[in-house]
Amino acid sequence: MTSEMAMILALVLPLVAAGLSFVIRSAPNVRDACSLAVGVALLGVVISLVPTVMDGGRPEIVLFEIFEGLPIAFRLEPLGMLFLLVVATLWVITTCYAIGYMRGHHEVNQSRFFGCFGLAIFASAGAALAGNMLTLFFFYELLTLSTYPLVTHHQNEKAKRGGRIYLGILISTSIAMLLLAVIWTYVIAGTLDFREGGILAGKAEGPMVIVLLALYAFGTGKAALMPFHRWLPAAMVAPTPVSALLHAVAVVKVGVFTVLKVVIYIFGIGFLTDTKASVWLMWAAATTILLGSLVAMTKDNLKERLAYSTVSQLGYIVLGAALASQWGIIGSGMHIAMHAVGKITLFFAAGAIYVAAHKTQVSQLRGIGRSMPFTMTAYSLGAISVIGLPPFGGAWSKWYLALGAAEAGQAILVGVLMVSSLLNIWYLMPITMNAFFVPPDEGPAYPPIKEAPLFCVVPLCLTALGSLALFFCAEPIYRLLLPLVPGAGGGG
Amino acid sequence: MREVKILRVVSAKTLLPFILLFALYVQFHGDFGPGGGFQAGVIFGAGLILHALVFGLNESRRVIPEWVIESAAAVGVLIYGGVGVVAMLKGGKFLEYGVLDAHDRVHGQHTGLILIELGVGVTVSAVMLAIYGALAGRGRLST
Amino acid sequence: MSEHLAVLPVLLPLLAAPICFLLRNRIAAMGTAIAVCWVTFVAGVVLLRTVVTTGAPAIYELGGWSADVGIVYHVDTLAAFVVVLVSSLGAVVLTFAPQSIAKEIPKEKHHFFAALYLLSMAGLLGIAVTGDLFNVFVFLEISSLSTYALISLGQDRRALTATFRYLILGTVGATFILIGTGLMYQMTGTLNMAEMAAHIRETEGVRTVLVAIAFLTAGIGLKMALFPLHAWLPNAYCYAPSSVTAFVAATSTKVSVYVLIRWIYTIFGTQGPGSMSGVVVDLVLPAMAISGMFIASTVAIFQTNVKRLLAFSSVAQIGYMALGVSLVSESGLTAGIAHLFNHALTKGGLFLAMGCIAYRIGSVQLADMRGLGRRMPVTMFLWVLGGLGLIGVPCTAGFVSKWYLVRAALEQDALYLAVIILLSSLLAVIYVWRVIETAYFQEPPEGKDEVTEAPLSLLIPTAVLIGASIYFGLFTEWSADVAGLAARELLGVVR
Repeated sequence: MTSEMAMILALVLPLVAAGLSFVIRSAPNVRDACSLAVGVALLGVVISLVPTVMDGGRPEIVLFEIFEGLPIAFRLEPLGMLFLLVVATLWVITTCYAIGYMRGHHEVNQSRFFGCFGLAIFASAGAALAGNMLTLFFFYELLTLSTYPLVTHHQNEKAKRGGRIYLGILISTSIAMLLLAVIWTYVIAGTLDFREGGILAGKAEGPMVIVLLALYAFGTGKAALMPFHRWLPAAMVAPTPVSALLHAVAVVKVGVFTVLKVVIYIFGIGFLTDTKASVWLMWAAATTILLGSLVAMTKDNLKERLAYSTVSQLGYIVLGAALASQWGIIGSGMHIAMHAVGKITLFFAAGAIYVAAHKTQVSQLRGIGRSMPFTMTAYSLGAISVIGLPPFGGAWSKWYLALGAAEAGQAILVGVLMVSSLLNIWYLMPITMNAFFVPPDEGPAYPPIKEAPLFCVVPLCLTALGSLALFFCAEPIYRLLLPLVPGAGGGG
Repeated sequence: MREVKILRVVSAKTLLPFILLFALYVQFHGDFGPGGGFQAGVIFGAGLILHALVFGLNESRRVIPEWVIESAAAVGVLIYGGVGVVAMLKGGKFLEYGVLDAHDRVHGQHTGLILIELGVGVTVSAVMLAIYGALAGRGRLST
Repeated sequence: MSEHLAVLPVLLPLLAAPICFLLRNRIAAMGTAIAVCWVTFVAGVVLLRTVVTTGAPAIYELGGWSADVGIVYHVDTLAAFVVVLVSSLGAVVLTFAPQSIAKEIPKEKHHFFAALYLLSMAGLLGIAVTGDLFNVFVFLEISSLSTYALISLGQDRRALTATFRYLILGTVGATFILIGTGLMYQMTGTLNMAEMAAHIRETEGVRTVLVAIAFLTAGIGLKMALFPLHAWLPNAYCYAPSSVTAFVAATSTKVSVYVLIRWIYTIFGTQGPGSMSGVVVDLVLPAMAISGMFIASTVAIFQTNVKRLLAFSSVAQIGYMALGVSLVSESGLTAGIAHLFNHALTKGGLFLAMGCIAYRIGSVQLADMRGLGRRMPVTMFLWVLGGLGLIGVPCTAGFVSKWYLVRAALEQDALYLAVIILLSSLLAVIYVWRVIETAYFQEPPEGKDEVTEAPLSLLIPTAVLIGASIYFGLFTEWSADVAGLAARELLGVVR
């Protein structure tokens, strides 16, 4: 199988899954088995692509031209590869989890749910593979639209309001700013291809670069840079698997992925360093990091707390992109993967608690670790990874980000990273403490074990172990990402 | 109105044939002098409207039923367009009358012109009647 | 037959109209009309292909008379494009019509409907192909008069007042156009647009011509419902029978935009000392367009009748077209022309979806559409896709035109214009989402349990139009690319 074939398969398979879910309505077992099988197949296909990219291969597909000289095109490069890998892996796991959750919870409209899920994965895969900004924009919008039915799954008043904010912010930022930035770039540069070293160097100058970068950074509403972060907590009305995959992995990561892509391939790292156009973005990101963490501390609803934690963590990735230095970019790229695995564990745990014990507030979770030991252990591991302590994956990405900030001579930013880590501990760890070391509010001090269904618990244990494994397997990711940074010994 | 015999005899019975004949004269003489389908159609229609005025709309519609009027309006257009299409079929452009006569283009022009003016006349007089009917009948007779 | 290609699209519906009328039988008349529409569409497509591949306009001298004495049909890329637009939309909507009008128009008037529909279509097609300014007026009247009658066929008695309003304003518009035409004839001594363009330089700065420009702008503005001359449009769209609304919304105003493009670009030209349309292009059109984009969209947000909502949206969308035309650049004109077609597909599809809804629930009020997402899933899904097209979401045709429009604004360093365009398109999000939220998030009203999906004969034409609006959002070879070609022709980049 050639790499091009594999890329097409990676796009087609999620669509197949979506189609099957819509078609096979009456046989849920067959439907879910199909979803799972397709997910595993997709993972296989994606893994088969890794060696090519590691060897410096950059397979390309050009589909058709929408505008003259502006085709829908796909090109696989290291960052996209990493993102695709994350999405494919977590899709399989989330599908397992979703099956358990949706059934354990007797949700309605499961076919629509899994169908839109497949569509969202298709959109993420398309964004990961996008070979130019137009293609990326297409899939970005497709992702917004395909996740709207997921966010508003319950179709009640609360879902409507949440969906309104979700869609309102994402659509209006992307149309009013991102699209403007894209077209502007095209008018200036005459192309939208992702090229090493950027396409804007020498064509834009002065304040225009800053304005353009601002349009991109804020226009990518999915990156949740404050003040356009409100959609993320609003989207927590969705069923938990949606929150887990889409709002810890696919949607938000497509956002920061877009920002990274823009920084690396549209502006070019060297260009941004030379013009210093991204300095303000560092501070915007730092503000988001701190404010996100602070708001998270005030939230009692577990999912909302996690949502604000995500806002803050996304700030890390944007910060790395804004640093536009070797370590910053590598740290950002890595953080996409590390945070995804860590955060999805936390969301899974939140969902499992909801399914098994019907609890949503942090204050209700005292002693829950005694009846749900697996879930809460996994939660703790995920939390430590998100905080960034060894021996978990999150440690590496924070390390590189801090290195990047130090390299840029921004001592304050290093401080921000450290303070934020402390805040992370503050709002994530008490949950573990209370769960294990404080007796439950009611009932016996050591209640019998009552875990969520197996389909829920196994995936979350897997992702928890995954974040542990990533600590020891960070080296391949490092090597994969190295070519992104010119002059760092990785070539490209 | 029926009681006013003078009107009925003088205007309708006496004048009507002349009006209609004059309409036909204008119609066919339009080829050489002032006139043509529009004018002729209006005169013809006016004559029939006079009839309707004097004898009443119902009487008038008995003489010329509604469906005849409507069909005539459509047929007139068809005559006009049909001549054009025949010209096309004979190898000319749409409405190129010259080709209607295989030997003499001028003859063809005459033929074509008389035919299309006939179409115009039929349609115009029918539409005159239809409009009068619609107004006088207040929707009673409209389809 | 190929030498008659330019005249066929007008001739076929024009002659079929009286035949349908004479047939009097409901089924025979509608059948004939549908067949003729599709044949016209094929002729239109062949015409467009011929014009595009040969690169030269198709010229047809009616009656064999040359341009100085007779009427000449002059079909360049733009004209052929509009012919395809009108005939395709006409054909699809008429295919939708039989089932739809069965509920909305008394049976004995169906042959009448078919004839009027064909006449209206013939008029619109005639405007597109003719190269003679007076002939434009004649065809405009043919189409307008038949459209008035079509709209008055609506069930609601308010259709009559709506028609009357349209009749008055439409007639004013037509009269203005006639006055403008007369003045132009007086100054240039010809009615042929190409010759008029050749003589226009000699009339530099003559007041008569300036007056003619004013009359033409106002007249055409009325006909195309350019804000604030749109007063006739909302009620006319709202109370007309569903299929009439779809047809009129998709084609009628678009053809008026075509006339606008014709006189600005073909007759007056926009470059050089002879350009006298300057103030119109620089000031009047953009001002009207932008205020329309915002005000009409805002008004649309507050509508409770969905057909009226879509009608106001149309007024706003006309603004985009006018803005594109007024930018006088290749991408601007491309945006304007492409949006003619793209918006025709989208809005036509949406109004057909409204037709499906009216067919089933007998109302187009927003309140009656509560919970419809569950009762008529396919129709509402199509509606959603169409709504996304109005917003201009990627993968829809609306995106393509928006792309060109913003690009044109940025190419002229008019960043503020680009921002205005994008911001106003956000208003569309609000009114589209109001309908979506009502249909999907609210419980259906009591006693409407029996509502089911619309019949296939209605769904398929709707799906065809909406599907086409998606297709042309991705594959632009025959939409935006042709529009670009037409724009280059008009600007004289290639001849």
